[in-house]
Amino acid sequence: MSTATIALLGQPNSGKSTLFNALTGLKQHVGNWPGKTVEKKEGSFAYNGMTYEVADLPGSYSMTANSDEEVITRDFIASGEADIVCILADSSQLERSLFMLADYAGISAPCFLVLNMEDVAKDQGKTINVKALEKKLGIPVMLFSATDKKAYDRFYATLERALREKSHIDVSALEKEYEKISGYSEIKDQLSETDISGYTPMWLTVKYLENDKVVSAKLKEELSGDKAASISALGEKAGGAIATGECKFNWIDKLLDGTVNKSETGVKLGKLDRIYTHRFWGKPAVVLTVILGLFASFIPALPIMGLGSLVDILKNVVQGALSTAGCPALIMGLVCDVFIQSMGYIIKMLGFVFGVTLVFGFLEEVGVMARISYVFDNTMGKLGLQGKSVMPFLVSFGCTMGGAAGTRVIDNWGQKVLTIALAWAVPCGAAWAIVPMLSTVFFGMGAPVVIAVLLLVMILHMWVTAKIFGRGLVKKEDRCGMIMELPPYHKPRWGALLRYVFGRTKDTFVRVAKVVLLVCLIFWVLSYGSGVNDTSILYRLGIAIEPVTKFFGLPWQLFIAFVASSVGKEGAVGVISALYAGGSYGEGFMAAMGGAARAANLNELLLANVTKPEALAFIFAITFNLPCVVALAATYQEIHSAKWTARIAAYYTVGALLLSCVAYHIGLLIW
Amino acid sequence: MQDLLELLKDGNSRTLEMMAKDLGTTTGDVIRRMEYLEHIGAIRQVAFMDNSGCGSCSGCTGCSGESQAACRGCVPQNADVNMGKVWEIA
Repeated sequence: MSTATIALLGQPNSGKSTLFNALTGLKQHVGNWPGKTVEKKEGSFAYNGMTYEVADLPGSYSMTANSDEEVITRDFIASGEADIVCILADSSQLERSLFMLADYAGISAPCFLVLNMEDVAKDQGKTINVKALEKKLGIPVMLFSATDKKAYDRFYATLERALREKSHIDVSALEKEYEKISGYSEIKDQLSETDISGYTPMWLTVKYLENDKVVSAKLKEELSGDKAASISALGEKAGGAIATGECKFNWIDKLLDGTVNKSETGVKLGKLDRIYTHRFWGKPAVVLTVILGLFASFIPALPIMGLGSLVDILKNVVQGALSTAGCPALIMGLVCDVFIQSMGYIIKMLGFVFGVTLVFGFLEEVGVMARISYVFDNTMGKLGLQGKSVMPFLVSFGCTMGGAAGTRVIDNWGQKVLTIALAWAVPCGAAWAIVPMLSTVFFGMGAPVVIAVLLLVMILHMWVTAKIFGRGLVKKEDRCGMIMELPPYHKPRWGALLRYVFGRTKDTFVRVAKVVLLVCLIFWVLSYGSGVNDTSILYRLGIAIEPVTKFFGLPWQLFIAFVASSVGKEGAVGVISALYAGGSYGEGFMAAMGGAARAANLNELLLANVTKPEALAFIFAITFNLPCVVALAATYQEIHSAKWTARIAAYYTVGALLLSCVAYHIGLLIW
Repeated sequence: MQDLLELLKDGNSRTLEMMAKDLGTTTGDVIRRMEYLEHIGAIRQVAFMDNSGCGSCSGCTGCSGESQAACRGCVPQNADVNMGKVWEIA
């Protein structure tokens, strides 16, 4: 019984392994290629009195020596071990998958072409004229489906024919394309006398132009010094792999012209994507989507916020019970003013964290966030940022420190600094917890409007910041665009989404609770025991700085809360909770108001003591203040510049106070 | 392909469809050219997350060193799958 060896060659996912398994069944063994960790799969089968040895070559994109797989593949073929090479291509995407054939053209081993996945191509409405392709290529070609057992008789027939004919690809049309490359013909002439078996001078010339390291090294050994210098000079002007790649694609297009009906006639976009990617309407559509998302976030948030209000009732009950039991005032204060009071605030804060995570997590699951990030990034790109900047911005919505760490993938230092500087303007998870809660307390149903305005100011802030810092950080030549493959819209995976939402809410609860309780405790201790005629340092300091803080629209208590928010935004709530409701300050305010009865809860107390313009000023101040000291440290860690870290921190502190001042005066005009 | 690279340098972001429109070709043609350009190292796919920074974020729920998943405390698990793929000049 005579034997023939077949080598299976194809790009990954061309169906090579399916064919190999179907041909060899159990008669196969797997090992490694000598000296490599690349898997070697060999097998055999008998047909029509003939034994066939089959080598399943490693899947590779091309025949260029870019990887071990590619080197092994072409060395095996060039060694002459294979009697025939079976090249597989995906019928459903021939424009792409015939690249391997184009790259193979010029190798001396005989071959035939198997157009696999015939069924998928048929489903796409594609018709392929195999006879016309055979005529153009000069080798046997067959349509095939490796998963269809009935198709194998045709495969065996084509294989037998290919072994009889031992034909090679007709490269005349391809070479005409290569001849358009400056220097190609001259280099090929110089290589005509080289003796590298298995490859034609055309193939070697193309690989040399593509800067194939193995071919270049072999040619250096083969050629004299003069010839090597000559082809090197010619190669530099040729345009490299881009020029040869263009030739291969042109050849493929001409090959398919008239042999395959083209189902893809133009660019198709869904209705939503036509809006999101529109040069003019894209931005308003995204802003509207985000604003509607924020509004929708209030729906699941409000019941949880309501639950937080119940804690005020609990506080009064506990206070009454402790008082009846004769509990010392210090313990009562700690339990009611620090612990229970703070927990009420924390629960209210979690409401919006839950809502915003659920709504925006949903938008991400269905694929809308990708469109938002595309539009966002397109704007950022014009300000000199890379495509990579989009993820630090999105991460910053959760944690600015994560956003800063996310810039590690940006290799340009200036763009990295600018990305962090802009990421600071994105309200972090803590801001998203505090701001909606305070907005709801002060503005009730108007809270979503305040949030929407904050979002618009954030975009403006980022634009101004990019203009201020961008000039010094990013050069015009550093700016580059990007291509984005938008994912298809799909149904959300509710399980994964809810796990993320609850996980995120739990994380926020732990983080926020620690900071709020600690800060509240510190300021409660600082204010404990003071009365109407307060003489504590905190009170005197507050009164002393108030003329200045009032300029920014902030009473001294809110200014201290603003300072505390620099440490961590959650800290602001701890300060408010302690200074407005914690023991004697609260009473002090009540007394100053003319002996009004003590408010039943902090909301009423805040409403009684802080005007709406002051509240608006405070909300703007903490939203656009520097995120937290940890983010500050992360920024320094990433950019390694104390000067730039300090510059960004100072910019944000001053910026927040200026925005606060503007918000206050606008508030005065409104209320 | 040179024209595709030139458009990638102009500072604008494009979807595959927009790139195809600007080049007067099909999306499939843009995809194969990008695949080739990526293979020869002229462009690269953007890596959104560097796991070396993971674990330091205060919101991080902890992603193991072996896992290449993005920080779950910051973004949903496999969020990058839904964020599409992005390429830029290498």
